[in-house]
Amino acid sequence: MSDPLSTTFAALADPTRRAILARLSLGESSVRDLAAPFAMSAPAVTKHLKVLQRAGLITQGRQAQWRPCKLEAQPLREAADWVAQYRQHWEERLDRLETYLATLQPPSTEEKQ
Amino acid sequence: MSSHPPFTISRLLKAPRALVWEVYSQPAHLAHWLGPKGSTVTHSQMDFREGGTYHYAMTVEGGMELWGKWLLREIQPPEKLVLIQCFSDSQGGVTRNPWTDAWPMYTLSTTTLTEQEGGTLLSLVWEPYEATDTESALFAASHASMNQGWSGNLDVLEDYLSLLNQKA
Repeated sequence: MSDPLSTTFAALADPTRRAILARLSLGESSVRDLAAPFAMSAPAVTKHLKVLQRAGLITQGRQAQWRPCKLEAQPLREAADWVAQYRQHWEERLDRLETYLATLQPPSTEEKQ
Repeated sequence: MSSHPPFTISRLLKAPRALVWEVYSQPAHLAHWLGPKGSTVTHSQMDFREGGTYHYAMTVEGGMELWGKWLLREIQPPEKLVLIQCFSDSQGGVTRNPWTDAWPMYTLSTTTLTEQEGGTLLSLVWEPYEATDTESALFAASHASMNQGWSGNLDVLEDYLSLLNQKA
């Protein structure tokens, strides 16, 4: 699973990581604040953050002492774009089917209706 | 089987049912419309019988070549066609979705043709086949947002996330 989309979807497949993203959609947060609602060790939370970071879904600041985590929307947007394209594909395919059927039939049949 | 609703789409076609069936089941016809806008079908080989296959290739906008395969399950001319669909290669193998491994390996599509005033109603039901929960959720998310116009596409992702959450 090395393509960016699979990395994004794999990162999203875990409920803890989704909860972390949901929290970050409200604004930046320190690792300690992020970890607070979860009944898990700090290293376990850090592990999840690393997965999210590798997927490009969050970044962690280097300046401030508390190194805030921040949500990055771009990979989410790309994943959503990809996910949304299937209906469009089917619509396009049926458009082409319709056009093709019209070329196979004499135009007079259509005009009679 | 997935607990998510399948993808459905239908279209009233201005053509007699026999013609629609022909165009849907013969490789020379399929090559004219099978791909999305801007694509060209470059290979179209059909063994049209239950248990048979349809193997095809298309070049899509941007030049990428895509191979696909149907495994024909149920053929009821001129009204019903059930097939398993997968991505493929030039050798006719089964491959993963080239964009993401998270897509179901196999999908099942059921096409029904019904005679109606003014033509033929084509109805398609498309669902994951032997997929994991995560794959099914991704599949469902690709059509969860029924609104046309997917500019607000983060909604789609929200749908995906909520589908995953139902499983959690």
